[in-house]
Amino acid sequence: MGFLFDICYSVCKENRDNRAGKILRKSTMSMANERFATVDRVRQGLRDVGYIATEQIARTVYLAYHLGKPVLVEGPAGVGKTELAKAAASFMNVPLIRLQCYEGLDESKALYEWKYGKQLLYTQLLKDKLDRVVGAETSLSDSIDKLHQYDDIFFSPQFLEPRPLLKALQEKDGAVLLVDEVDKSDDEFEAFLLEILSDFQVSIPEIGTVAATSIPFVFLTSNSTRELSEALRRRCLHLHISFPEQGLEREIVMIRVPGISERLTGQLVSFIHQVRKLDIKKVPSVSETIDWAKTLVILHAENLDRELVKDTLNIFLKVQEDIRVTLEKLNTLTEHALREKT
Amino acid sequence: MDRILENFITALRRSGVRVSIAETMDALQAVTLSGYGDRMLLKDFLSASLAKSLSEKEIFEDCFHRFFSMDDISGEDFPFEKSSHRAVNQSWSPLTEMLLAGDGGGLSLAMREAAARADIGDIKYLTQRGFYLQRVLQELGFEALDGDIRRLREEGNQENLERASALESMRDHLIERVRKLVERQLELYAVRRVDELSEMYMKNANLTALEERDLARIHAVIQRMVKHLKDRYSRRRKTARRGHLDFKKTLRRNITYGGIPFDTGWKLKKIDRPEVIVICDVSRSVANVVRFFLLILYSLNEIVSKIRTFVFCSNLVEVSAHFEKYPLPEALARIQTGAGLPILMNRTDYGTSFLDFRDQYSDCLTKRTTVIILGDARNNYWNPRTDALRFISARCNRLIWLNPEVPSLWGAGDSEMEKYIPYCTIARECSTLRHLERVMESLLRTH
Repeated sequence: MGFLFDICYSVCKENRDNRAGKILRKSTMSMANERFATVDRVRQGLRDVGYIATEQIARTVYLAYHLGKPVLVEGPAGVGKTELAKAAASFMNVPLIRLQCYEGLDESKALYEWKYGKQLLYTQLLKDKLDRVVGAETSLSDSIDKLHQYDDIFFSPQFLEPRPLLKALQEKDGAVLLVDEVDKSDDEFEAFLLEILSDFQVSIPEIGTVAATSIPFVFLTSNSTRELSEALRRRCLHLHISFPEQGLEREIVMIRVPGISERLTGQLVSFIHQVRKLDIKKVPSVSETIDWAKTLVILHAENLDRELVKDTLNIFLKVQEDIRVTLEKLNTLTEHALREKT
Repeated sequence: MDRILENFITALRRSGVRVSIAETMDALQAVTLSGYGDRMLLKDFLSASLAKSLSEKEIFEDCFHRFFSMDDISGEDFPFEKSSHRAVNQSWSPLTEMLLAGDGGGLSLAMREAAARADIGDIKYLTQRGFYLQRVLQELGFEALDGDIRRLREEGNQENLERASALESMRDHLIERVRKLVERQLELYAVRRVDELSEMYMKNANLTALEERDLARIHAVIQRMVKHLKDRYSRRRKTARRGHLDFKKTLRRNITYGGIPFDTGWKLKKIDRPEVIVICDVSRSVANVVRFFLLILYSLNEIVSKIRTFVFCSNLVEVSAHFEKYPLPEALARIQTGAGLPILMNRTDYGTSFLDFRDQYSDCLTKRTTVIILGDARNNYWNPRTDALRFISARCNRLIWLNPEVPSLWGAGDSEMEKYIPYCTIARECSTLRHLERVMESLLRTH
């Protein structure tokens, strides 16, 4: 065991040196380094772009940056998994490139595609040119030899349509790549992702290997509709986000909904937390809490009351059955929420 | 090298988290970033790099807590001799020195180091406690301490005697501490040591011997098994699916390119997807095994598209809908107790149940159907109604009978297995997960 460890240690040191050597970090990168100097700075930075992160989230982001590893984010729907990636992008001041996964997603949609139309158009336009090039030759094999000198002009980068994954690798100053709902994709696609996630390079048969100019910051999100493979998990850092505590959710609402009073925030967050404990089909997510808060602000509400809740219930409950269950307990829920001290 | 991390990962592996070498490397880097000072930071870093699912995170929490919160000796709960003033001329052993100086931090460190030197990570069994206790004490330098105490006693003036008795009480306390340390280590390294072998073990163990509390873990094993089979199956399907060139489709697609076939279309081979019908005995005689049968059915339900499930005891009912409607534990409980089902839980009657199936559901039997019957064929001396089974057998592609009993018992007592065998394509013993796996494999292979 100890022996293995020593090997690991030296390999991992080497790896890090290699990576640092291979990929030149530009001046923007050093600025990013500055941003990622401490965990607290990451947390503050995320807060500045409107994302309230728990210690754990900030630490994982910090670690992922320093290890150059993708982060696999799991958790129930609507806790801000996707939002985290967006916030990270604007915090790092790099573009966000998003790949939404779905069943049947394949390489041509995720990685690259040849621009068939353009290739065809060019062959037609250049027909005369081509005629002239081969015109002097008499035999067929000579013409082909002649054409070979021009190699794969029609399979060059100009005719390549980069899809999200390739685009993320090509971004000069780095990017945040968000592979959203990776659990919705097929097993085959997941296997294909592995190459990109571990080496940050892809091979295109006609052109060669494209390696990342700077390593993109990768987030993968999953709602665990399907078990992800061990191999994918091994390549990522893992972050599980659950619904935020009341205090944190209050902060989130305050920062996302300007002009809301502290008292109302306390009441509505308390109400939502109680609803989450009920036996309902679809628990309200954080984004729905925010929607509700916005609605209440527009309605100039100062306090929660029974009628108001009843009228606006459909903003965070989307299933008729859930609404019925909640309405039954509306009185106790509202009272309890009103007793909440901020 | 980082001994602490190494031990922690060992402990984590023993508790059932799979940690790969790549992850170990990540953890190493994470530790270089965080150091061991800030426990919470360390925990989050390690958790992100080592525990990769919610269930693993739970184990991790537990393990981390046990591993890092142990054996810190602080001044308060250790009876250091407060007023001890050292005699300068004496040369004490390092341990005596620390005890006299009341150096709690030093003691904790010394204890941990001694434990590491004694290879405490290798502790496996309860009976090894004494042995490891002695070894740690030895590494800690107890002989020298005893020597010091003896010397003090021999010198014999009042002050020395007092000091000696103080040292003795501290020594006893320290032994107690080390004993606790060893116990905690035992918990950490050995508590779920069986798990290392568990998957192998569970696959081979007799299903009747497995217990209710293992259900979740067995389900995990089964799911892994099913996924494995499915992966293999789907890969095969993918390559086998491409047929010959679809000329019409190609033409249609390439009209935009002036008829030059840039984009070819291929015909897809249609694959036969046979339907599976499972008929499962849920009576008390097979109660223990039924749980696992149902578990397998539940998992199969996810990969085989057309599957219909029936259970029977005194009569037969269809339960396919239950698998789709309810989460696993609830579906199992409902089917086993027969809650909400029109099933009679009296004595098992294979004959009537087959008749029920023939009369009500025989229209779902086609030449592509595989019928699987799970049961021990113990018919309580009722009429076996082999004619009903013959009818079913004649109308389906294959009839597979899985019996939890060993073949030597088939036909003994009220078992009608011998009479049923002629109508089965395959009749097999099925009492371990390994057996089940084999059956499922053959089921999918012929798909």
